[in-house]
Amino acid sequence: MIRILDARARRRFWKNRGARVGVWLVVVLVVFAAVGPLLAQHDPYVSDFTTGATSLGEPVGPSSMYWLGTDRVFRDVFVRLAYGARLSLVIAISATVISTVIGAGVGLVAGFYEGSEGARVPYASIALASVALVATIAGRGRVGGVLLVLAFVVAVTAWFLPRRIRLLDGPRLDADTGLMRLVDIGLSFPFLLLVMALAAAFDRTTVSTILWTLGLTSWLGTARVVRAKTLSVRNLDFVGAARALGQPVYRILVSHVLPNVAGPVIVLSTAQVASMIVAESVLSYLGVGIAPPTPTWGHMLYEGQDSYVSAPWMLVVPAFAILLSVLGFNLLGEGLRDALDPKED
Amino acid sequence: MRWIPRKTELIAVAACVALGCHEPPASPLAAAGGTTAVRGGELHLASFADIKSLDPAVASDTLTGEAIELIYAGLVDFDDQGHVVPDLAERFERSDDGTVYRFFLREGIRFHDGSLVTAHDAKRSIERALNPDTPNSFASFYDRIVGFDDYTQRHAEHLEGVIVEGERVLAVHLREVDASFLAAFAMQVLRPVCPSAGDRYDDTWAPCGAGPFKLDTWDRGRSIRVVRFDQWWQPGKPYLDALTYTYSMNQVTQRFKLEQGDMDIDRELSLSDIFRYQNDARWTPLGAYDEIPSINGEEMNVEMPPFDNVEIRRAVATAIDRLQLQKLKTPSLVPLYRTLVPILGGDDPAFPAQRYDYDAALEHMKRAGYPYDPKTGQGGWPKVITYPTYKQGLNEYTAQVLQQQLAKIGIRIEIKVVSYPTYLMMTKTRGAVALAPVGWQQDFPDPSDFFEPIFATSAINDEDSNNGSFYSNPKLDELLVRGRKELDPLVRKKLYDEADAIICDEAPWAMEYQYRYYGIHQPYVRGIRWNAVWPNYVRDVWLDKPHAIASTNRHVPNVLASIWKVLQ
Repeated sequence: MIRILDARARRRFWKNRGARVGVWLVVVLVVFAAVGPLLAQHDPYVSDFTTGATSLGEPVGPSSMYWLGTDRVFRDVFVRLAYGARLSLVIAISATVISTVIGAGVGLVAGFYEGSEGARVPYASIALASVALVATIAGRGRVGGVLLVLAFVVAVTAWFLPRRIRLLDGPRLDADTGLMRLVDIGLSFPFLLLVMALAAAFDRTTVSTILWTLGLTSWLGTARVVRAKTLSVRNLDFVGAARALGQPVYRILVSHVLPNVAGPVIVLSTAQVASMIVAESVLSYLGVGIAPPTPTWGHMLYEGQDSYVSAPWMLVVPAFAILLSVLGFNLLGEGLRDALDPKED
Repeated sequence: MRWIPRKTELIAVAACVALGCHEPPASPLAAAGGTTAVRGGELHLASFADIKSLDPAVASDTLTGEAIELIYAGLVDFDDQGHVVPDLAERFERSDDGTVYRFFLREGIRFHDGSLVTAHDAKRSIERALNPDTPNSFASFYDRIVGFDDYTQRHAEHLEGVIVEGERVLAVHLREVDASFLAAFAMQVLRPVCPSAGDRYDDTWAPCGAGPFKLDTWDRGRSIRVVRFDQWWQPGKPYLDALTYTYSMNQVTQRFKLEQGDMDIDRELSLSDIFRYQNDARWTPLGAYDEIPSINGEEMNVEMPPFDNVEIRRAVATAIDRLQLQKLKTPSLVPLYRTLVPILGGDDPAFPAQRYDYDAALEHMKRAGYPYDPKTGQGGWPKVITYPTYKQGLNEYTAQVLQQQLAKIGIRIEIKVVSYPTYLMMTKTRGAVALAPVGWQQDFPDPSDFFEPIFATSAINDEDSNNGSFYSNPKLDELLVRGRKELDPLVRKKLYDEADAIICDEAPWAMEYQYRYYGIHQPYVRGIRWNAVWPNYVRDVWLDKPHAIASTNRHVPNVLASIWKVLQ
């Protein structure tokens, strides 16, 4: 990560107190997730009805046996917190990787082809896609899907047929316009609402469904930033030279453009890890995330809210874990942004 | 000037937040100390849920029932012990052969619109409730009334067995003896409704009955307000001027409002709040448990593997440690080992009930052909069973304990959290789910209500099946029919014991616990009684409030208050 920073940027990064705090918080989180479960004395899935509960049936508070007390089902909060940290990190980082790869890919292509002639989209395809949209909104998702495929088939077929057929004629659409309008539509949906709707649609919610849901819905912002950066990079001399040498587009994008847009992407991704941790917690809190008894911070928070008077650790512990993790990644991201900003000198 | 917290202050705030600032509840508000009931005042109640209708003909949930009990009165009702007693009827009698019931209405009783309540109104209301166009889920309880089938199948204009024998005399003829009829008749669905309701159900009708309160406003989704009906048949009652019931209010808000005096009775306390009030001597005398019978357990679909094997069902029933489950909400859960709860006669300690016996559970698994070795973790049922549950309920936690307990005998379940409507749909549809948490609260206090609707073959439907285990046993059906016809209490008890023994042995359900609610009220709420059928029964409540009581107890919530104190 630091290799993208030159010596001056590295100096700026380490001089920034917020960035240093961010690094420490992230390191502590990673170490806790890695080592915490090994230190734990109890199974995160097994209730202890004898020493984990009071005679009245309340969870026991922090003690030498249960460092952070027990939860509503009399399981060790510390070990569940540690397992939850693993899960949060795995989901947040994986979803961020998915989102960054898609977002960067879309942004690179859109930015590189901005202003190109584009391909003709037949009126028939537009009509079919419109009907597909209406059908989907009306709850006929399967019909909508079929119509959308049909619209695509018509568009491809139209390439090979004479344009005299009126229905196969239509406006031109370049990659940039197509992809960026898709991004605009995506960004018009509130992110968490979209994620919740998608997560609720799954019959079973597992770690992979959650991370894919988060990854596939969070790339839009990255795509916009990468596109903007690509627009400026594509006109630089070394890209023109590569084109003149006849290098294929994918090679120009990967070897010449991507390294020059990597800085902002990494800054954005770091901050996005924090968003993913929050999003995963919200999903679990609302009951559309990973099903119990798998320990997740969001679900721990949910379980703790009713007992905050008699067993406050159940609420406070996961709340602080979420708070510090999000703070850590955000401070790190901001530190990187400041370090990469030449104006900071 | 910037405020910079000192280190000690920060530590104090952090400790306060971390430890929850264990302050006791606010002091109960003072009562005036009156000894005789006085009229006046407005009572405030609340619930986290909401109501959909105020028409008794379609009311089926407990919360709606509380509102119905205010606005409507029946010819008969239940007393605090669950016995049927006269209400709008001054008396009732049963014929010697047990097939005719006569109800004699009080003289001069009126509906809220001022019209007299007559036997014609009672008959019209019964026919309206049992009309096939009325979405009344309890209609089958009245299938012993002569002419029921003809009426519900639209072959007859009127219900032949319900006869007006005079302006104030109504007779109900049954085609055979039904020992549970009177209790079913006391349910809310048949309560007389104003003539404006007509003889057909209409969901746009403005609720109007002959109960102690009449509807003032209904802000749908938020609250109802009822005001005293001054022409109520009991002179001087009700005492309250008005009552407001607020809906969709979460538990924590309810508790704060109770302590501030903005709410007067709270029956939806969280576990921690129950402990909080029970451990505070000022509040202890103001709380009590209701005794409304309910049963909860695990429903095993006998048509789906592995529960089509009775030995597996027995293994589940003996693997459940009910004392462990009880710890999840100790004050509210009473371990349950059989279908009949003690208040309905299920109090025989020698009864062959379902009890936790781990070795026996392993033996049942072995007999089922799926032996499990706890030492190696090998064996047991080879597939994972999907177990639906819903959020915002105790089931979420019992599911996690059940998962651990069943894993010890080699049955692995995967918890699937779904919405409540989805849960209902899954558990009531044939072939949809093999194992699910289930509960049953009485419709009326009679043993028959704990067997016929959930275990009889007649309760099986492909969809919307009350018998969600799809268990069918001709011998059990025969016992239930005999129990319903038997008028001798001792013989009847024996029949239901026999039926219960079959349920416990064949285990379509694994019984777990009986749920009881803990309610707490401000000291000025007087005359409160915990009814065996109706929760929040407030017909005799009066307010013993000193003048200008309001606002003396308003305070910042505990944690915030403590932080504030530290910061100051």
